[in-house]
Amino acid sequence: MAGTKVELEVRGLTKRYSPQVTVGPLSFEVMEGEFFSLLGPSGCGKTTTLRCIAGFEELSEGSILLGGQRLDGRPPHRRDVGLVFQTYALFPHLTVFDNIAFGLRLRKVSKAEIERRVGQMLELVDLPNLAERYPAQLSGGQQQRVAIARSLVLEPSLLLFDEPLSNLDLKLRIQMRYELRDLQKRLGKTAVYVTHDQTEALALSDRIAVLSQGRIEQIGTPSEIYESPASAFVADFIGSSNLLKACVRGDGGDADTAMETEHGLVLTIPRVADVSGATVMLLLRPERFQMAAAGDGDKIVANRFTARVRDVTYLGEDLHLRVLALERQPLLVSIKNSKGTRAIVPGAAIDLAIDPEDIHVLRR
Amino acid sequence: MERGRRAPYWALFVGPYGAYLLVFLVLPFANVALLSVYLHSPTKIAVAEFTVTNYAKLWEVYYATLFLRTLRLSLVVTLVCALLGYPLAYFLARSTSRIMTLGLFLLIIPLLVSTVIRVFGWLVILGSEGLVNQGLRLLGARESVRLLYTEGAVILGLAQQTMPFMVLPIMAAIERVPPSLEEAARNLGANWGQMFVRTILPLSMPGLVSGSLLVFSVSMSAFVTPALMGGRRVRMVGQQIYEEVLTAYDWPGAASLTIVLSVLMLVFVCLALWATGRRARLETAR
Repeated sequence: MAGTKVELEVRGLTKRYSPQVTVGPLSFEVMEGEFFSLLGPSGCGKTTTLRCIAGFEELSEGSILLGGQRLDGRPPHRRDVGLVFQTYALFPHLTVFDNIAFGLRLRKVSKAEIERRVGQMLELVDLPNLAERYPAQLSGGQQQRVAIARSLVLEPSLLLFDEPLSNLDLKLRIQMRYELRDLQKRLGKTAVYVTHDQTEALALSDRIAVLSQGRIEQIGTPSEIYESPASAFVADFIGSSNLLKACVRGDGGDADTAMETEHGLVLTIPRVADVSGATVMLLLRPERFQMAAAGDGDKIVANRFTARVRDVTYLGEDLHLRVLALERQPLLVSIKNSKGTRAIVPGAAIDLAIDPEDIHVLRR
Repeated sequence: MERGRRAPYWALFVGPYGAYLLVFLVLPFANVALLSVYLHSPTKIAVAEFTVTNYAKLWEVYYATLFLRTLRLSLVVTLVCALLGYPLAYFLARSTSRIMTLGLFLLIIPLLVSTVIRVFGWLVILGSEGLVNQGLRLLGARESVRLLYTEGAVILGLAQQTMPFMVLPIMAAIERVPPSLEEAARNLGANWGQMFVRTILPLSMPGLVSGSLLVFSVSMSAFVTPALMGGRRVRMVGQQIYEEVLTAYDWPGAASLTIVLSVLMLVFVCLALWATGRRARLETAR
């Protein structure tokens, strides 16, 4: 797990391309051994941030510290930071062996030592028999491993990943995700990972920084980001969600607050302070809805309502429904596929319920 | 339809130009080859009587010097173009498309001007009463410096003329090298120079070789530029051939010069292609 020592510290990183196009100021810390992701849509500044750390972009303002040492201002080849590229960027004129040995040769490591360390790396990334191949003769997944080995062999203090899995097909991507995570944990390397794929970020990261338009929206663990997003943007970007505009209708007592959505659905939520009269956003995750069968009618009392099914998307494990609650409020609902769900067809009326604890109030 | 009987489809694509080359290049060249072993006659130009004297005379010091000078000047021009053209090609290949278009336009402008006009431009600049000498005189020089009719002048003129042939292939080769490779090399600890030598240079080698072959070939067979800028003092083979045809009426002599020049160029081209081909085979390994 991530240590308690700060390995990378980014303070007020700002990159101005033009008065209109600015990234930052961004500040965050990455702990030793932590897997930290920068997540956001294209153009949010995540790649710029990574390139600033690697030294390919100069900061307009701010500073970057690695292990307490100033990094900004140092040329890219003297940063002790390994970067794995989206396109792998393997040298096409060099064999796998020579690609991995590239950095070692520059460091004047002895021939025997190079043999040993490259061999070790090839074992580590599970490519021991491909040393003499050229990159063009490798599959995408193999090229990816060579790129990782090429960075790892130099034992950098920090590994940077620029969407390294986005050029692989889905199945391989998921497999490489596990391998990458495994490798990083085993070696205890601090890693900063840039991606626009929220599932990837959730699956890999110890912590995630969600970026939008050059600013950090939220930093937190995957469950914090998913369960209690700090803003409507984060809620919407991570996973699918129902974001409902609502205002306080009345106090249901000490424990609860009743909210009414703009389409007239009344929902009870745990009591929240200082929202009286205000319009807020409610976040309801689609998979948190429950189907209320006729038999258990009394068990769930709060937030139970009838909904008309508009359409059903069959995804095997899950069913994604678009429903109209009380014939007024459109909702996205995700239900586990089971025997009981066979009756769900467009036009059917179903009983849905959601626990008040599963409704989140977003203030922005 | 009988599939086997149809003409192979490539004949359609290669045929027309192939026929053109056959009629206007291969046949005339065969004629030159034949002429080169005919006997020279002062009255009938050439007599159909086989002889090797036309080739034998090329061992004379005059002709040997002529060939060596042509070879040397062409190699120097190639080197000059490579040294000046490579950085330019790199800059253009890594520029925004707008700057690249402008650069290519400026680069190609000299090709739009006829060689003779361009060389006369040089005469105005380099002549004994030319711009350079006038400038030197303003600075207090007593006598004018000889700039024209020197090897330097020929190299200058040929390098300018052939520069686009060097820059364009190198630029195309560098453009195919993704900038991320440069960044990967830097990230792995290479300073700019090490990055260049280990990635860009080997990966753009095919472009450098193509450019060098083009520049070398054009220089070897150049006629107008060395004739006007080198005069009698810096004579190259092209000019010699021209004079043997039009002044001395020694067509067999001119033909033998032509054949030797062509063979010499072919040898160099094959050497370069063999060297780079071997390299390419090593890299792609099937």
